[in-house]
Amino acid sequence: MLITFGALAAFFAIVIIVLQASGIRDRNFSEYAVGGRAFDARYQAMSFLNTWYPGSMFTAFGAMAASSGVISFYVLTYSLLTVVLMYLMARPVWVWGKTFDLRTQPDLLSLRFGSRHIKTIAAVVGIVSGIPWLVLGMQALGTLFQYMSLGTLSFSQAVITGVAVIALRQIWTVRMGMRGVVISDMVQGIFAYIVGTAMLVGLIVWMVVAKDITFASLEPRMFAIPSHGSTEGPLYVFSLIFTGAIGGWCWPYIFVRLFTADGVESLKKSAALAVPLSLVFCTALLIFGMFASKIPGVAEHPNDVWFIVSQEAGGLWLLGLAGVVVLAASMGHTDGNIQATGAQIANDLIGNYWKLEERQLILLAKIGMLGLTVLASWLACLELPALFSLGVLAYQGIIQLAVPQFLGIFWRRGNAYGAIAGMMVGFAIAVALELVFPGYLPWAYGLTSGAVALAVNLAIYVAFAYGFPETEAERKRVDELFDLVEKRRASTAPLHPQPAE
Amino acid sequence: MTRADKAPRSKRAAWINAWFVADAIVALAPPIYWAADGKTTPILGLPAAVFYFVAVAVFIAASIVAAYAVDARTGETG
Repeated sequence: MLITFGALAAFFAIVIIVLQASGIRDRNFSEYAVGGRAFDARYQAMSFLNTWYPGSMFTAFGAMAASSGVISFYVLTYSLLTVVLMYLMARPVWVWGKTFDLRTQPDLLSLRFGSRHIKTIAAVVGIVSGIPWLVLGMQALGTLFQYMSLGTLSFSQAVITGVAVIALRQIWTVRMGMRGVVISDMVQGIFAYIVGTAMLVGLIVWMVVAKDITFASLEPRMFAIPSHGSTEGPLYVFSLIFTGAIGGWCWPYIFVRLFTADGVESLKKSAALAVPLSLVFCTALLIFGMFASKIPGVAEHPNDVWFIVSQEAGGLWLLGLAGVVVLAASMGHTDGNIQATGAQIANDLIGNYWKLEERQLILLAKIGMLGLTVLASWLACLELPALFSLGVLAYQGIIQLAVPQFLGIFWRRGNAYGAIAGMMVGFAIAVALELVFPGYLPWAYGLTSGAVALAVNLAIYVAFAYGFPETEAERKRVDELFDLVEKRRASTAPLHPQPAE
Repeated sequence: MTRADKAPRSKRAAWINAWFVADAIVALAPPIYWAADGKTTPILGLPAAVFYFVAVAVFIAASIVAAYAVDARTGETG
């Protein structure tokens, strides 16, 4: 236990030393919320990965690969497809963000649709939907700490320990804002995805050489992809990949990465840097999981696959390192979630209705982060059997932001009425369908509730776009927004259309 | 094309845009993954079902790296 907990403590200390040494002092809310748009491609790439891939990749998706096989690879497909979207969105989102000092995802929706109310709605949806996943992330640390204690801690004690550690870590997130998040993402990302990938490759080699496990050893069911005649339905995989790819950018803590870069060049380069690492890491993880299904004990406890195999292959030292890798990935995701939510509470909820000074916004964001940390920590220590279902429900709901977000960025048509109506109807349909048909809809060939709701949402958005044409002034304002993106190439002199009240 | 349908123009090479469209097709088109369902025939050392996902992933990753290389050369990254 000294070795495993010592490794975790040493890693925690490294992260804190790096943060303390960075000596961050934020002068205004934009520096606090988006790090002053100061980060180059390397920081951007690692920050994206550290927020995108949480610690549960090693537990939940490792378990899925070990128990269900190749279907788990859908996470690899949508994780890469979403970077294509990032590449395409990079210019308009960054240019609008820089020109109008946008700090959050609802800021962008408010600018594009000239509506203050869409900002509140998007913020509420984002914040409420994020809480179950924040709590789940904290609870996942319970698995980590229980394993690291070598059975000494009960699960509830391990959850409390994990919550205490991640809550302690938030002192620096609250103090340092986005700069602290991005700088620590670099350290955490190196451990989670570079050291983690090296470990995964080593463990795969160990399973092949020492345990004689290959793809040929696996049962045929491990190669099944839901198709015609499957329980889930033939469109289930399509639905998972489609909603995963577009839904990723609906999370406020992912979207805000587009505002932290120091330019469009850095965003695009970060995409090119992130995809090879993402490809190798995720492929190695899923192959590792599939092979590990043959290791004794994994079938009974698939969520522990990463720890079981690490301990068997390399004893307590490798188990300790495995714990560091999961802690590093978990920290990045949790920090990003809490930071983005705090910024939204100040900027999109309170700051949307009251004129606040920069220092007041920073203070409110810090209070919001502190409150969220306390709330999530308290919830994580409770027994909430429906929490995962709530998380899935929240996911099907939040992806309804995708319609106004992507069409708003890439299509000049569309208005606030269609955006708000589509989102709200889509959200209600997604929640209702998910409650009645959890997981997938058997009568829709395996489509998920969110995918069906997206179609309705899209129809409403397009119907309003053509049925309720915007005024001449609004048309001119939107044209200026899009022209700004075009003109940036040729000129540094921006236009400044203002969002309507 | 009307005013409202105009999207910001890009100087990016047409073949890169076509590659991005192909990314979506190979990743999402159900008939492709239906064809890989349960297949264990080795392709480049991987069972066909695994090869399908890995090949799609490599295809998508390569498109982004290629797009950045082309955009950087033509000044599209700014």
